[in-house]
Amino acid sequence: MLSIVEAVLGGAVRSSTAVLFAALGELIAERAGVVNLGTEGCMLTGALGAFAVTAATGNPYLGALAGGGCGALLAAVHAYVAVVRGANQLATGMAVTILGLGVTSFWGRSFVSTQIQGMEPINLPVLSSMPLLGPILFQHDPLTYLSMLLAPVIWLFLARTRWGLALRATGERQEVVYSVGYSPTMIRFAAVVAGGFLAGLGGAQLAVAYTLNWVENMTQGRGYVAVAMVIFASWNPLMAVAGSYLFGGALSLQLALQAQGVGVSPFLMSAVPYLVTLGVLIVVGRRRRQAMPDELRAVFEGSRG
Amino acid sequence: MSVFTVGLTLRVKRDFKPIAQRFGVAAVLPVALFALFLMLAGVAPIDTFAAMLQSSVGSSYGIGEVLVRAAPFALTALAAVIPARAGLLNVGAEGQLVCGGLGVAAMAFALGDVSPAGIPLLIVAGMAGGAAWAGIAGVLRTKLQLSETISTLLLNYIGYLLVAHVLQGPLKDPASFNWPYSAPLSDALRFATLLGSRVNVGMLLAPLAAGVLAVLLFRTYWGLNLRVTGGNPQAARRAGINVPRTYLTVMLIAGALAGLAGVLQVMGVEGRLRPTSGVGFGYAGFLAAWMVGHHPIWVLLSALLLAAIAVSGDALQITAGLPASSINILTALVLLGVLARGRAQSRG
Repeated sequence: MLSIVEAVLGGAVRSSTAVLFAALGELIAERAGVVNLGTEGCMLTGALGAFAVTAATGNPYLGALAGGGCGALLAAVHAYVAVVRGANQLATGMAVTILGLGVTSFWGRSFVSTQIQGMEPINLPVLSSMPLLGPILFQHDPLTYLSMLLAPVIWLFLARTRWGLALRATGERQEVVYSVGYSPTMIRFAAVVAGGFLAGLGGAQLAVAYTLNWVENMTQGRGYVAVAMVIFASWNPLMAVAGSYLFGGALSLQLALQAQGVGVSPFLMSAVPYLVTLGVLIVVGRRRRQAMPDELRAVFEGSRG
Repeated sequence: MSVFTVGLTLRVKRDFKPIAQRFGVAAVLPVALFALFLMLAGVAPIDTFAAMLQSSVGSSYGIGEVLVRAAPFALTALAAVIPARAGLLNVGAEGQLVCGGLGVAAMAFALGDVSPAGIPLLIVAGMAGGAAWAGIAGVLRTKLQLSETISTLLLNYIGYLLVAHVLQGPLKDPASFNWPYSAPLSDALRFATLLGSRVNVGMLLAPLAAGVLAVLLFRTYWGLNLRVTGGNPQAARRAGINVPRTYLTVMLIAGALAGLAGVLQVMGVEGRLRPTSGVGFGYAGFLAAWMVGHHPIWVLLSALLLAAIAVSGDALQITAGLPASSINILTALVLLGVLARGRAQSRG
């Protein structure tokens, strides 16, 4: 029994990493006042970029870096059209995701049956031999550890640094930032690109540390889940960890139940993680609206041009 | 009625110039970029473009296929237009379309073999299926202020999986061996087709819906209220407009329109529901709506353009050996080109 619990929770952590990276990236962009629905596309390009470079070089770490780069590159398209040209953020994000889908199916087909040597899990010394917590938290791939560290780092960056303050101010009231001599456009551009890098890293974890293969459209909406989890998290990086682990937990639990041969349709079981995502948004209800960066209100509540 | 039509033509004329400009810019740059992609893949762009044009507009068969694709695109585009006019962003036509198809398949299953009198019942069932799915997002928005953009995106994935489930379970055709298909509709329940092509009478529903919605939107008090809500919900509330009810209504209408696209696909084109029926059509419609600034008549044009691109994507697969979904690159670039032209003209 204990081993099943360990397996489910350990699996939950591992399958949360991709969403967590993407959610942290999206959070950075949204704190600067930009919603990026292209996160889904950035994850996809990140997954393919990482997979292709890993296949070519045999080094999954180089692959992960390339994945982040691909995500950043696609996010730059979003940043240019939505931030510099001022187009509607939500429509641009959808177009960017579809661009990512097209680009990855264009270049991805030759990788469909490619085998790669992915990232091996690393058991952290001492910690991994703790009972229960060890196997759940400390026997994972390096990208999973990185995602765990990244959440408090981003929290510190946003809350305690000068650039974090400028970024948050851009999301609340960009005129103020402009009046003290920063360029809100540049800050937003940088935030979106950094967010795309993290989303790409999330896709990379999916491809070179979790599934170890490439399948067209393999992220299956995880980018949108990440956007939802940022709202659930009330734009707080530490809460984004909780949200991502809820999604990963649902994913891992339904896979374990399917493996046990529970008599429920596998398709309905696969819908559970999305239902959980929708469910947590419903549960937190109106509370999150007070936390919403002011500049986002115009995007989400008056969703016009 | 004639006054309405005159008013409508005037508006269409006035709108034509900016829209023509948009299409102009939207055409050159994306095509050039796409040619670059093709060259990177070691495919000759000119030959490929020729093959793409040939397959889409180069024959009467190709033109028919474009029209067959454009009709559901126009309906899913309208499913984005109506909420956008009221200030909502419906990205859920994907899920609403497949739930519409599900409604048709379920009703056909319940009715068994019946005469053509079953056709209206199937259409209503399809529209109801789509409306129900969109209604979930509408209620979440009005009761909990949950962004309909997020909820409709998530509901798309749940919708695909729901359809996949019923096609493996209750609605699976016992005669389809292992394929997850619903039972084929009897010929009496399908839309009449033109001379052995897939062009069918149901496709007329798309321009009909566009016309009716244009009149409702621009020539009725209801449409005015809707547009006021979209322009400024605060002002609308003070003017006594029931904003939540408007939101819910536009979502239900949008769902019914996307459901109708599912009806066309099942009753007109495929004759049965498959897990792949209409997948991708919702996003195409969303893009088509944005390309023309959410104009209910002009979406017919953008739907035609995106349908031609989509149909020519099949040529990519055959002549250049590229996956058909690579055509998404061209579709996305066209919209990004339109969006990058700036928000001054975007009326969404």
